[in-house]
Order: sequence, then C-alpha cells, then structure tokens
Amino acid sequence: MASKVEEEIRRLSVELRFLEQTAEAIRSRSNMVNAVITDLTYADMTLEGLEKEKENSELLVPIGGNSYIKAKLDNPDKVIVGIGAGVSVEKTLQEAKEIVKKRLENLEKTRTSLQQQFAQVAERINEDRGKFEELAAKLRKGKTPKNV
Amino acid sequence: MSEEISKLPPQVQERLLRLQQLQQTLQSVLAQKQQVELELTEIEQASSELQKLADNTVIYRAIGSLLVKAEKAKVTADLNERKELLNMRTTVLGKQEERLRGQLKDLQAKLQQDLSPVSPS
Repeated sequence: MASKVEEEIRRLSVELRFLEQTAEAIRSRSNMVNAVITDLTYADMTLEGLEKEKENSELLVPIGGNSYIKAKLDNPDKVIVGIGAGVSVEKTLQEAKEIVKKRLENLEKTRTSLQQQFAQVAERINEDRGKFEELAAKLRKGKTPKNV
Repeated sequence: MSEEISKLPPQVQERLLRLQQLQQTLQSVLAQKQQVELELTEIEQASSELQKLADNTVIYRAIGSLLVKAEKAKVTADLNERKELLNMRTTVLGKQEERLRGQLKDLQAKLQQDLSPVSPS
C-alpha cells in the first residue's frame, strides 16, 4: 500500500516539475510577445501621428539614452518597414499602417492562446499539488502508528 | 541526494556524471538548433516577402544599427547564401542530436542495470 502511494507521489513530483517548467516557458514567451506588442503599439501610434504631419515638419528623433537629434520630415508618405532577417522595405504610410495592424492582430491571437495554455497548465499544477498533499498526508498517517 | 550518490560504486557515479554531461550537451545542441531554425524561418519569410516586391522597390539592409540602401537582387542572393549555410548547420546539429540521444539511451540502459539490484525490492 505504502509503496503504491510512494510511487504515485514520485510520479506526481516528476509531473509537477515538468508542468512548472512548461508554465515558466509559457510565461517567458508571453513576456516576449507582450514586449513586441508594446513596441508595435508604439509604432502604430507614431504612424498615426505622422499622418497628420506635413513635409519639412521639425522632428526630434530619439537616439537612446533619452537623447534626441533634430531632423526634418523629408517625405511623410514613405516609411521603412522591417521584414525580418535585417531587411527593410520602403512602404507608403498606409501600407506600413496595415502591416503593423496585421502584426498586432496576429500577436494578440498568440497572446490569447498563450494565456489559455498557461491557465490549463496552472489548473493542472493546482490539481497535482492537491493530490500530492493528500497522498503525503496519507503516507504520514500510515507511517506514524508503526513508529509508536 | 548527493550523499546518496556518494554511496554508489565509483563506476556508477561516473556513469551518472557522464549522463548529466550528455544531457547538458544535448540541451545546448537543441538550443542551438532552435536558434538556427528560428533564423531560417525568418529568412524564409523575408525572402518570400522580397519576391512579392517589384525589382525597383527601395530596400534597406541593416548593418548594426544603420540601415543601408541595397538592391533587391543582392539582398536576395545574400539571404539565399545565409539560408544554405544555416541549412548545413541544421544538418550537422541534427546529426549531433541523434548521436547524443543514442549515447544517452545506451547510458540510461546501463545505469538502469547498475541500479536495479540496489533499489529496494
């Protein structure tokens, strides 16, 4: 009887470790996705704002470290959009806005799916922890009378 | 746990250590493979985007934090070259993975044999 319980406890602890690792992996992917969403939202806001600007408007371009350089808007309708692998393509403002919007939509879907996966794993972890506690208590009870 | 391990015969201890090392190496190979595969996917996506564009589209290539104007044909050729290189790397890493998995399996079987008389019946 005790060995069966012990075996189940061992199985649960291995499963729990695996589930916790999975949860951690999902969390780190979620963080990455959230960071990209923030970045793209920022790009979306910039493009929206740029639409209202005229040629030769004065701009301050961020260069990092909360520092800026002065620039003039040469062509408000031309935007350079990265397509990955270090390659960027010139697009019209409208095209760029659509690309950003589409990427945001896809990322929102990924975020929702990750949230669902995380909830499932978290539920399973809770169930397993409950079972684990129950069995551990059973094991303790079973062992105490022998020691007395 | 480590106390329990130190009670095992030296040969078994060595095998356990080797098992851990193999597992770590496998993890690192898998991580490298994943990284290469990610880059490959990105290159494939960028290549297919490039193909859709007209030849005279203005294209830029990232050099560090700078974007430098480039020609479509040159960028496409560069991407294909990189893709070939990465494909070769994936093959090599795949072979390494296969070999490591084989070694791990053998070692695990040996360890199971080593440990079976020790475990409480």
